[in-house]
Amino acid sequence: MSVSDLPDVQLEQAQKPALIVGVGAAVLLVAMAFVGADRDQFFRSYLFGYVFWLAFPLGSLALLMLHHLTGGGWGFVIRRLCEAGARTFALMAVLFLPLAVGISRLYPWTRAGWAAEAAKHAPFKATYLSQPFFFTRAVIYFVVWIGLGYLLSKWSMEEDQTGDPGMHNRMEALSAPGLILYGLTATFAVIDWVMSVDPDWMSTMYGLIFVVVHVFTAMAFLIFMASRFADHEPLAKVATPSRFHDLGTLLFAFTMLWAYLAFSQFLIIWAGNLKAEITWYVHRGLGEWSWVAGLLLLFHFFVPFFILLNRPIKRRKQLMAKVALVLIVVSALDVFWIVTPSFFPAPTIHLTDVLAVAAIGGLWLWAFAKQAQGRPLVPLHDPRMEEAVEHGA
Amino acid sequence: MSAEHSAPIIEPGQTFATVTDRISAIVLTQKTGRGWWLGFGIAFSLLMLFNLAITWLFAWGVGIWGINVPVGWGFAIINFVWWVGIGHAGTLISAILLLLRQKWRTSINRFAEAMTIFAVACAGTFPLLHMGRPWLFYWLTPYPNTMFTWPQFRSPLVWDVFAVSTYATVSLLFWFVGMIPDLATLRDRARNLIGQKFYGFLAMGWRGSAVHWHRYETASLLLAGLATPLVLSVHTVVSFDFAIGIIPGWHTTIFPPYFVAGAIYSGFAMVMTLSIPLRKYYKLEDFVTMRHLDNMAKVMLATGLIVAYGYMMETFSAFYSGDLYERFMVLNRWTGPYWPFYWSLIACNIVIPQVLWSRKARSNVSLLFVISLVVNTGMWLERFIIVVTSLHRDFLPSAWGMYWPTRWDIFTYVGTLGLFFTLFFLFIRFLPVIAISEMRGLVKEEAGGSK
Amino acid sequence: MSRPKLYGLMAEFDSPDALLAAAHKATAAGYRRMDAYSPMPIEELAEAVGFHHTSLPLVVLCGGILGGITGFGMQYYGSVFTFSQNVAGKPLNSWPAFIPITFELTVLFAALTCVFGMLAMNGLPTPYHPVFNVPNFALASRDKFFLCIKARDPKFDARATREFLEGLGPVEVSNVET
Repeated sequence: MSVSDLPDVQLEQAQKPALIVGVGAAVLLVAMAFVGADRDQFFRSYLFGYVFWLAFPLGSLALLMLHHLTGGGWGFVIRRLCEAGARTFALMAVLFLPLAVGISRLYPWTRAGWAAEAAKHAPFKATYLSQPFFFTRAVIYFVVWIGLGYLLSKWSMEEDQTGDPGMHNRMEALSAPGLILYGLTATFAVIDWVMSVDPDWMSTMYGLIFVVVHVFTAMAFLIFMASRFADHEPLAKVATPSRFHDLGTLLFAFTMLWAYLAFSQFLIIWAGNLKAEITWYVHRGLGEWSWVAGLLLLFHFFVPFFILLNRPIKRRKQLMAKVALVLIVVSALDVFWIVTPSFFPAPTIHLTDVLAVAAIGGLWLWAFAKQAQGRPLVPLHDPRMEEAVEHGA
Repeated sequence: MSAEHSAPIIEPGQTFATVTDRISAIVLTQKTGRGWWLGFGIAFSLLMLFNLAITWLFAWGVGIWGINVPVGWGFAIINFVWWVGIGHAGTLISAILLLLRQKWRTSINRFAEAMTIFAVACAGTFPLLHMGRPWLFYWLTPYPNTMFTWPQFRSPLVWDVFAVSTYATVSLLFWFVGMIPDLATLRDRARNLIGQKFYGFLAMGWRGSAVHWHRYETASLLLAGLATPLVLSVHTVVSFDFAIGIIPGWHTTIFPPYFVAGAIYSGFAMVMTLSIPLRKYYKLEDFVTMRHLDNMAKVMLATGLIVAYGYMMETFSAFYSGDLYERFMVLNRWTGPYWPFYWSLIACNIVIPQVLWSRKARSNVSLLFVISLVVNTGMWLERFIIVVTSLHRDFLPSAWGMYWPTRWDIFTYVGTLGLFFTLFFLFIRFLPVIAISEMRGLVKEEAGGSK
Repeated sequence: MSRPKLYGLMAEFDSPDALLAAAHKATAAGYRRMDAYSPMPIEELAEAVGFHHTSLPLVVLCGGILGGITGFGMQYYGSVFTFSQNVAGKPLNSWPAFIPITFELTVLFAALTCVFGMLAMNGLPTPYHPVFNVPNFALASRDKFFLCIKARDPKFDARATREFLEGLGPVEVSNVET
């Protein structure tokens, strides 16, 4: 095994291309917005790219806190990667700025007269969907996310350096209210940023569906990353085939949970068939978008169901890495199917959609690779570590 | 490390022989205590009340209940949902915790599963009785008939028939399969002929062969894998009973996960309500330890918060959507004629259980018992609020009305408590309340694993 | 009166580890037809007595698929062909509404296949079995561990096998009479 294989070296090497892709795509994207003059499309694509990539840090944060609370050997394989992901919220806050700029192009409720009209029959909505309140909430979300990511990472590092078992208790104590905060902020963030693109439409399950999108996407990404570093100490101690089996089982569970929530929401709205609700699905399931829905049914449910039912596949990290990569793409398609039909009655993919994903993705991966370096990939002083190593063998 | 992490799931000093003898003794040799007779007597009397109530019902019809236009779903549906929900914790403890390899489940899974079956039995009686002509219940099933009719498969009430009957069947199988090795133990320990025949018949000639164990364990895992989505689906279908209709307060997409969380919440509360007296009376504190109670309290706290999330989203959507009827429904719950029920529900389900955040509270057995009763009450009130407040204010004020249960509603409800506890008392008298073979497995691991 | 035919020889052990070791030794010594009995499942014991793979999961998967097809097929047939009613303006093939029952029947068929498949493969119920004739065998459901080498093993020899079993350090070796 050569030095160039070491996780830190690999991560450092990955930083440059990620940054080049990110900045390059961003420059092209901005150029297209100005040259092509289709600025609406710029923001639509950007919204899709942003919502998709936001799943990575948010899912990492949620999984991290879940592991602090429940324990389990699987968590030690991905914990440091989760922490790295959870330290990227400052970047996501900066990347939110274009959405703030484009707010009047994305959200119908910013139009003149909308608030006055809405105030007649839905005064609460008229207040809720107002720009000052919208931005105040966005600030709160980022403060919460940055704060949680910062504290959990900081204590984890102190645990590494001092071996103080009190740190573990602190992280566990923060994770319970942390998960509640995550649930609330994630829910209202997607209501604000995504659902309010159709201000007349509302689904109470929307937030939960995105919570599953977050943990599903992040889990696929973390499995992919962990599989690359699993041969190196100290990660090799915990990243055994049975741990990959556990992670694969969790990914399987999230897949099923996604199918369960997505189908339940659909069935309730389909059966109710009320004008205010069904339009959302008429756009996405009846017209030309229906083949995207069909692809999701196939690749977000049936294919992963039968693949991840196989114990031998889940135990082989190289195979799991490939499956995870496919599922990340499928998740992007899912987010695309949720976000884009609000703007277009027929499936259309713009070059800007691809560029937005590349730009935000490149920058996020650059930040992730930077954050993941320099710390051992396993929290060696976690009091539950010894047990995890023993059982993983 | 905090205290409850290191608390054992089986107290030290137990061997294969002691766990076997201790648990089988409850059934085989221990004298039937006065407490058992007292409890059984009360439960059995209530069961007789149930018989009286349904006899009267069959004679006079559902007009003896408080239901009428506009509230056509009264106690029967409230109690149905309440009982089904209680059943779910049993499957969860036995299936999901088995898949998650949570060893602490071992000592509580058997009676949690029994609780599931008895609760589902109680639940199942309500839709049947509510039909008005229960003897025609088979009309709900697809069977060849001279009129060439089929059930209305687009109706969630038909889905419910399939969901609940599948659930009852699978729970019974799961419970029975789990008991086979223990029945063999009782067969081999029984001192009298009737016991030997009875347990021998049920054990089906189980002899603990290694090959059999192998297939048996595979089957247990597979059943757990099947039961996990099943239990979610059952309460999801129950939530569809409401959400598919377009009644304000019912038709909302959060219902499936929020009902499932509520079911687990009330189910764990019921497991606690049953296990705390049980471990004390039969001195099973070595097996059902403080660690179990602490874990159950945490599960209750977590699922209770998901339920709170459901309430929050419902309220948020009522105001956000701007729908006149949705908003009225929420305001009516807050300040309408049933407001005391609504605010008691909030107190029981959301406010009071927050004391479980405190570690001290979680280690206080009497407090836990009280909270488990509070949550059981709160979850019953939740179903009352969902069923009654959404119906009693129809879209037009001309169709408004009030719902109050009659004495027959109450007798039927209390009567199912009698059915439940009668079955439960018979269970703890005649079947092993703790999975003996799994406890032996635990002893083996403790012996091999502790350093 | 003729002596009852021998089913095999049964050695009794005190601990799971002793039983596992004995099973390994018996396999190493060339015995192929044997079974081990224990009061709880012991990892690797089935492998040690020469049982490696159960087809139960595959059978259960087939049962589940059959259940799913039955569930959807029944609803489709009933709602589209034989009893085609317009209900609430919903299409005859209201497939979203058919999913819950399809799911339930998938689980039901799979679970029934699982339980009855397991019992059938294990040959249960078995009202009579020779091993029960061993007086101490009642303890196989309490705290004793047994290894039985069957008489139909090609290498079985009443005397040699008994000597072999006694060499494994058992509590006792007994004849299993049919």
